[in-house]
Amino acid sequence: MLSYVLRRILQFIPTVIGIMLLVFFLFNWVGGDPAYLLAGKISNPEQIENIRRQLGVDQPYYVQWGIFVRQVFTGDMGVSWATGEKVSYLVWSRLGPSLTILVPMLVLSTGIALGLGLLVAYFRGLATDRWIMVACTVGQSISILVYIIVLQYVFSYELAWFPVQGWAQEGGLLLIPFCILPVMVGVVVSLAPDTRLYRAFFMDEIQRDYVRTARAKGLTEWRVMGVHVMRNVFIPVLTHVMIQLPGLLAGSFLIERFFSIPGIGREVLLAVERSDFPVIKAVTLYVAVATILVNLLTDILYRWIDPRVQLK
Amino acid sequence: MVMVWALSGLELKAQPPVPSSAPTAPSALKVLHLTFQAAETGFDPAKVSDYYSAVVISGIFDPLLTYDYLARPAHLIPNVSEALPTISADGKTYTLKIKQGIVFGQDPAFAGRARPLRAQDYLYSIKRFVDPKNRSPYAFLFLGKIVGLDALVSKAQKTGQFDYDAAVEGLQAPDPFTLSIKLTETDFNFSHVLAFPLVGAVAREVIERYGADSSAHPVGTGPYRLRQYLRSSKISLEKNPLFRTLRWEALPSTDIPDEAIRKSMQGKLLPAIDRIEISIMDEAQSRWLAFLRAETDMEYQLEELAPKFLTPTGELKSPFREQGIQLDRSVDPEISYLFFNTAETIGNQPNPIGGFTLPKIALRRAIAMAYDVQDQIAVIRKGQSVRAFYPIPPGVAGHQSQYRSSLSYNPALANALLDHFGYRRGADGYRSHPDGSALILEYASTPVERDRQFDELMKRSMDRIGLRLSIRKQRFSELLKLSSQCRLMMKQAAWIADYPDGDNFMQLLYGPHTGQSNAACYRSASFDRLYEQSRRLPDGAQRDLLYLQMTRQMEADTAWLLTDSRYRNVLLQPYVVGFKKHPVLTNEWIHMDIDRTRMKKAPAS
Repeated sequence: MLSYVLRRILQFIPTVIGIMLLVFFLFNWVGGDPAYLLAGKISNPEQIENIRRQLGVDQPYYVQWGIFVRQVFTGDMGVSWATGEKVSYLVWSRLGPSLTILVPMLVLSTGIALGLGLLVAYFRGLATDRWIMVACTVGQSISILVYIIVLQYVFSYELAWFPVQGWAQEGGLLLIPFCILPVMVGVVVSLAPDTRLYRAFFMDEIQRDYVRTARAKGLTEWRVMGVHVMRNVFIPVLTHVMIQLPGLLAGSFLIERFFSIPGIGREVLLAVERSDFPVIKAVTLYVAVATILVNLLTDILYRWIDPRVQLK
Repeated sequence: MVMVWALSGLELKAQPPVPSSAPTAPSALKVLHLTFQAAETGFDPAKVSDYYSAVVISGIFDPLLTYDYLARPAHLIPNVSEALPTISADGKTYTLKIKQGIVFGQDPAFAGRARPLRAQDYLYSIKRFVDPKNRSPYAFLFLGKIVGLDALVSKAQKTGQFDYDAAVEGLQAPDPFTLSIKLTETDFNFSHVLAFPLVGAVAREVIERYGADSSAHPVGTGPYRLRQYLRSSKISLEKNPLFRTLRWEALPSTDIPDEAIRKSMQGKLLPAIDRIEISIMDEAQSRWLAFLRAETDMEYQLEELAPKFLTPTGELKSPFREQGIQLDRSVDPEISYLFFNTAETIGNQPNPIGGFTLPKIALRRAIAMAYDVQDQIAVIRKGQSVRAFYPIPPGVAGHQSQYRSSLSYNPALANALLDHFGYRRGADGYRSHPDGSALILEYASTPVERDRQFDELMKRSMDRIGLRLSIRKQRFSELLKLSSQCRLMMKQAAWIADYPDGDNFMQLLYGPHTGQSNAACYRSASFDRLYEQSRRLPDGAQRDLLYLQMTRQMEADTAWLLTDSRYRNVLLQPYVVGFKKHPVLTNEWIHMDIDRTRMKKAPAS
């Protein structure tokens, strides 16, 4: 196990270098010159040059690349060009709000989708299966924007159950009223595709020989489905959930924007609007590294769930 | 899960709230809830350029001068200075006396002592704008204008260190409360720069204590201080307990609604509102619903939703009126315009619309006359703007409301003009140059939805007169760069007043400002001569006449087509009193109050 983990960690290095090259290349190719944006309404060429010098974008590419590499290896990603805030602090401080929404959202949507997936797989071909699948297809084809607007209108404005938007800086229980609706939106959005996917996982499993054997041995249907099938379905479900996690951090910007949650997704969007390269590159790298680590963790969890899995 | 909750509280630990010294019980506090539609960048006056940061800064810092709250057009009055500046006969020396007894807010940088405001603080603050390290977006307010200051900047660029202790001939403090500014050229309108909200006094001790993090530690002499700050999310201001005694007063005015404001506010101690809570809400839907639920008390960023609450004539719809919601509707001190690059070449290629020969001017005029401004106002702006004819917008000194442009919408005349100058149509219906070569216009815009609507309108307008149009899509920062290099042929642009003086707008067409703010790269000897004369005159009839001649000259050359100025519709809850949108002041809440007796009548959603 240890040698496997070490080997995988060594494999990180070329992957991270590849990502760094990609980020660096994309920024310099399509990123535009931030100096003009930062210079304000009226600026002269000397001021533009001064800004470029301070940002380091007047340096030859190999020097800029060297600075980038140093930043990655020292963990000091510099400061935001727009606000002067330290990038590492910026990312760290936005992580809490993002996870506060994402973790319950992921837990709830996975739990509910697993239950529904199991239900429709069990009743496959019957009306329950058909109706739930139709609902899933319809639900999946509706844009997340529609869910946000409608749920915000109904639950915050018409019913006034939750605040329209906001965040409790104090954290803790004060956050609950602000979290319920964004979590609900996230769950509703992911429920349809997850249920369809998990149904397919269940369908694959219940046709296997061990299920027939278990039933032939006289096990109850609950034990067959809820224990034996469920355990085997966990592996693809785990893969699906874990792979989603890093992407969701930066990808939940719509929920964060509409509900004014000071999370990472919203910050990334802001950084793109401001051509704030230090923030963009830091978040891109952090998400990439998180993806690699999550993949490793997923592999280790496979073995924990199913001891027959060999890590090579 | 526990970790997640713990993480949520982390930001607060990093940005601890300043303990409030206000003795008022929280339930008795008057709190005004506002929203920003875009995130602020920070609160160091020398480092910001965005509107939202400036709003907060203007509540914390004090410029030397300010504007009367009700007077229109904007009228300068003293703020922390005892009187308006004494200006020398040649318009080059400004002398001001600062009121004594004004102190900065509490901060550890002052080691527990009350720190009085001194003239040196303003000199230091002005120097910070030109310190290359601060890369201030508003350095242009002072660069090239103050005797001896540019030399200090050049030295700083060479040494990498700005010498704040070096004497500057144009920035003197003969005693702790007297300030003398000597200008390089005659300028009778420099007072507007001294009233600019970002030109407030910062204390050197504070800046040196917080260094690179000065943006998160604003300490001023203004009516409010920062209470809590969660970047890009929440900004909370509270009354500065050390703020000087200031009572509401305003110059007499003739506007009827002003009387109600005067009646509710006259003589009140300012600020009357204890706390300002600002939430950053990016989406209009969220801002609208939050206002309807009275989660926010005023809202002015609902341009795209205006048809929901306004009638076609711009009045508040009756359901909202019946709930007591108030509307303040005014035209922003801004202009939108379509600029034409008048340079002969773009890069090393000939510019099809550039130059000042008659056929080229005729081509630009034809484009201007074919562009359907009314369509822009009705469809793209959803009726939330008015036609602009003059380069100086309403509310700004030098505006002429009676002026009408010679460039009116007339595609038939535009076609005739092009025919007359030999721009003949080919078999495909599109015109060519008089010499028969292909004529392709290039219009630049950003790849956002709003600009796509402008693209379509431009294409429709040009098709009407047989001009082939190609659309160049670029990121905003790239367009800024290309524009400053005179490499854009045509583009929509907008300018909002930095200060309410016509010069702030007329300088956009001054030849030597090419590469800076003159996006049309317009170089007219006649215009430049008139502009230079206008710079030496104070606001008044003589200068207005020059502005008129300059406008006619620009129109004759057709460097711009002025399109519109947007309305600002501010919605207020029934209990908010004293609001009137000022052309340039952004901190109206300093002059406002909350009427608790009306709070129960707030709209129940």
